[in-house]
Order: sequence, then C-alpha cells, then structure tokens
Amino acid sequence: MKKLFVLLVMSAWLLLSDAVQAALRVDIYGPGQNIVNLALAAPIKGPEAEATSMGQTLQKVVQQNLSFLPFMRLTDPKAVLGGIVLAGYEPPSLDFKRFQLAGSDIVVTTFWPEGDSGTRPVQIRAFETNTGGRIFGKEYPKVSAKDLPEVADRFCADLLEVLTGDGSFFRSTLAFVRKKGKMSANVWLVKPTGRGLRQITNMPGESMSPAWSPDGRFVVFSHIDRQSHALGVWDRASGKVQRIRFPGNVVIGPAFTPDNKVAVALSNGKYPVIFLLNHVFQKERILEGGNSINVSPTFDKTGTKMAFTSSRMGGPQIFLKDLSSGSVTRVSKNGSYNTEANLSPDGTLVVYSRMTEYGHRIFVQDMVTGEERQVSFGPGSDEQPSFCADSYFIAFASTRSGHGIYLTTRHGGDAKQVPTGGSAYFPRWGMPEGGKK
Amino acid sequence: MKRYALILALVMALAAGFGCAKKTQTTEPAYDDGGNAELRAAIEQITDARVYFAFDKFNIQPEYKDMLKTKAELLKKYSSIRVRIEGNCDERGTQEYNLALGERRARASYEYLVNLGVNPSQLEMISYGKENPAVQGRGEAAWSKNRRDDFRVISQ
Repeated sequence: MKKLFVLLVMSAWLLLSDAVQAALRVDIYGPGQNIVNLALAAPIKGPEAEATSMGQTLQKVVQQNLSFLPFMRLTDPKAVLGGIVLAGYEPPSLDFKRFQLAGSDIVVTTFWPEGDSGTRPVQIRAFETNTGGRIFGKEYPKVSAKDLPEVADRFCADLLEVLTGDGSFFRSTLAFVRKKGKMSANVWLVKPTGRGLRQITNMPGESMSPAWSPDGRFVVFSHIDRQSHALGVWDRASGKVQRIRFPGNVVIGPAFTPDNKVAVALSNGKYPVIFLLNHVFQKERILEGGNSINVSPTFDKTGTKMAFTSSRMGGPQIFLKDLSSGSVTRVSKNGSYNTEANLSPDGTLVVYSRMTEYGHRIFVQDMVTGEERQVSFGPGSDEQPSFCADSYFIAFASTRSGHGIYLTTRHGGDAKQVPTGGSAYFPRWGMPEGGKK
Repeated sequence: MKRYALILALVMALAAGFGCAKKTQTTEPAYDDGGNAELRAAIEQITDARVYFAFDKFNIQPEYKDMLKTKAELLKKYSSIRVRIEGNCDERGTQEYNLALGERRARASYEYLVNLGVNPSQLEMISYGKENPAVQGRGEAAWSKNRRDDFRVISQ
C-alpha cells in the first residue's frame, strides 16, 4: 500500500512537471510565433557569491548563443530591480518577483557548487517566473575552460528542446564552401553560432554543394577541376577525401537520402539525370530524368518525397516527386526562374531561391496550403537555402555584405550572419554528433 | 704553360660554338617550317572563336554555324588535334542549374561538330557553370560574353 502511494505521488509529480512544461512551450512553427523573455541570473558559487571565472565566460557564450533565437528576448540585467546576483539558485531562496517585474518569462540560474576554476561541475536550471515551476535542470560534470563552448551549446540545445520540442539548432554543424579565387573553393565546417570553424578539404579546383549524411559521418560534394567533374566524399572517421569519377560530364548537387544513400545529377545521354547511388557510390537507379535538365534533389526525413529543379516546362522550376507513387507535381508557380529547392525534414515546406529583378530571393512554400512566403529581401542576392533538422531555421548564402552565410527562419525576419572568416557559399546543415544530447 | 694553352683553346672553342648557335637561330629558326605554322594557325582558329548563347538557352544561333563549320573542317584535317569544349554561363543563374546548362551548351557545340563529321574521340566536354567568367562585371555587356563555349586544344 505504501509502495502504491509512493508511485501515485511520483506519477502526479511527473504529470505536474509535464503540465508546467506544456504551459511554457513556445510555438515556433505556427503563424503567430510568440516571443519569450529570458533573464540570465548571474552565475553563482554560493549565496550572493558571483562566479567570475569560468562562470562569467559560460554566461557570455550562452548569451551569444541565445541571441541567435529570433523568438527569444534577453532581459537587460539593469532592468532587474535588486540585480541579478541571487541568494540562491532555486526556490525558496530564488526571488522570482524581480524577474517578473522586469518582464521575464523565464529565469536561468547557473550554480558552480565547487567553484568555477579548474575542472568543476556546473548546474543550470530554468524556471518559469510566474509559477516558479522548474522547466529545466541539469548538471554538466567535469567542466574545464576548454569545454565551456560545448557546455553552452548543450545547455542551449536542452533548453530549446524543452521550449520548442527540438534542440537541433545548437546540435548542428554547417558544412559550407569557402572560396579563395576563380575555380578554387574548399569545404569547411562551422557551428551556426560561428564557433568550430575548420577546413575539411584541401583540393585544387572548385568544391560545391556539400551535403551531410544523416549519420553525420560523411560530407559529399561536387568537385570540378579543369578536366572533369567528380563526387567528393569526406569521411569524418578517417578525415580523408575521395574523388569519385563517373562516366559523362557532370556531377551536380549531391544529397543524402535518409537511409544514407546519395542522390546526384549525372550525365545520361543528352540531359543530366538524378541517380540514386548505392552505399559504395555506384549507380543504383534513376530517380528522375527525361528530356530536360533535372538537378538538385532534396528529401524529407521519410525519404518518400523528393523536391528537385527541372527545366521541363521551359525555365527552371521546382517540382516535387512522391517516390512511392512516382507522381510529380509543380511546386513553384510564380516567377520564371526558381532553383535550389530544399525540402524541410518534416516534409511540410519547400524553400527555394527565385531570380527577381533585384537578384535572387528566398521563398518558402507550404506544401499543405500552397501558400508562398518571401523570407529574404536582400540587398544583393540570396541563394542556396537549406533547412535545419528542426524544419524551422534556414541558412542561406547572400551577397548583401560580401559573400556570407546568414540565418533566418521559416517565417522570415531579420537575417543574422554566421561568422565564417571569408567568402562563404552553400550552407548545409548536419549533425556530426548524431544529434546526441 | 701547356695547360693554360689548353684551357684557352677550350674557352675559345666554346665561345665559337655559342656564336654559331646564335647565328643559326637568327637566320633559320628551327620551328619555322611550313607544316607547323599551318597547324598553329588551325589551332588558333579553333580556339579563338567562341560560340555565344542567349540567357538560359543552349541552342546554336545561326551566326555561329559557319564558324563551327570551319572548326569542323580543321579538326577533320588535323585528326591529331583534341579539343575540350568548355560550357559557361553568366553570373545571374544559380550554380547547380548553371552547371547543367553549361553542359548543355558544351554538348550543343559537340553535337554540331560531330554531325559535321568530326570524330567524337577528338572532342571532350566540361561545364564550369558560372565559375569561369571570361569577363568580370555586371550588365548585359559582360553577361553576354560569359554565356559561351570555349574551345581548348588539349593535344595536337
């Protein structure tokens, strides 16, 4: 009987905490995206004792990270009456009122129980200021100075998951191409927040269109030198790059299917055809072809839908193929030049670039309602859009200030630049850590 | 003394040798025989003239047909010449589509030449999309010069 009672109490507690979480969920997918105001309390190592070493650095990185979330507004510490240095990291010693008065919906506390120098654990908690309910709490053990960016990313991913149901943004790495000059470009990686920048290929010639494998092990790309096109394959396990040739003249726009196979446009007679390759990069079958240009395949996470660019109706337009039935429908209906489609992993949206008289612009089409929305407005040319695994964030290349990579969302809004240290093109999302939490 | 005389003689012989070579080069350049000059002229004709295209098009326009006929005759005459046809696009289109379009442009010239009797083994194709512009700059004047097929002799 006693055991049953304990179980009942535990279930009630779990239900209650679920209810608290549900109440705080931020709807980032619906049309009326709401804003959440978040306050970061000063990191502490004891009551009113500010953690000024690693604590301060972690705080700054978390702040930088959260500034990438367009639905999150960080509370100005000066707006918090009584300040943000707290007597405690959780109720009852945590005073929520000061944060409520500052307009914060959420307050995040950071506690370094053993101090914040050397290698120490850190506890991060998030509370709803109105109810005082804890929406998140986790200890990150053995944190040293070099781990701080990773801890910040992990915390931000955890928090984002609690609030929106998907923390992919902070678990992602963008593969992109950095150009050195004419016919000279290599593949690089960077976190969407600009950290972890590194070059992964070093080949003469032009690399283009990188794409991650779903398991995060490979990046494939088109490689063009003066003599030929080839499929480049970077293996994360070995760090090595293979250059695979195919009969014919073109290797354009490779993409992975959810089962880790590659689809790519290759020569097949007069026109490029979208082939599916097997696991050892040999031709398996044709996915789409005909007497027109067919390039740039992209898949949803089920692998049953493929969007692509085709000139079958004259100029290039976006089409969607249902791979189970084989039926093809036209997606882009406005404008005479729509290319570079990218299907959202959840299969509900297609993002693509359209040539306008002012340059290319990014558009998103809802596959359920057919509604089209412009999400980028230049200046310059906005191209090569790519959906994050959360089907919310979109990365794209733009010439608005040199050649750079920018982030926006399925709803549009202000674009934020990803620091890449040079001329950057072709951003493509991936999760090399396999999205581990 | 005998040794110095020998060295002096060798130096004079070498100097005389260099002098002769110089004289030969100025009066009778070794490369200037009639056959090679003709081949060089043929290569220039093949490579100098380009085929240009309209935006997002890959059909050969009438004004380039005579030029391709000339190239075809030369390639048939000099069957040792191998040419790479390089298809290019202007900067306005997007990269992946332009790679496909560039290939269609290269293929258009390739097919025209083969139809005129050029041995396909003398030709190869590549598309650089918009990555290899002939002219930098914006506007139709620059763009029209970049939508082109280049003809590069890769062996002779």
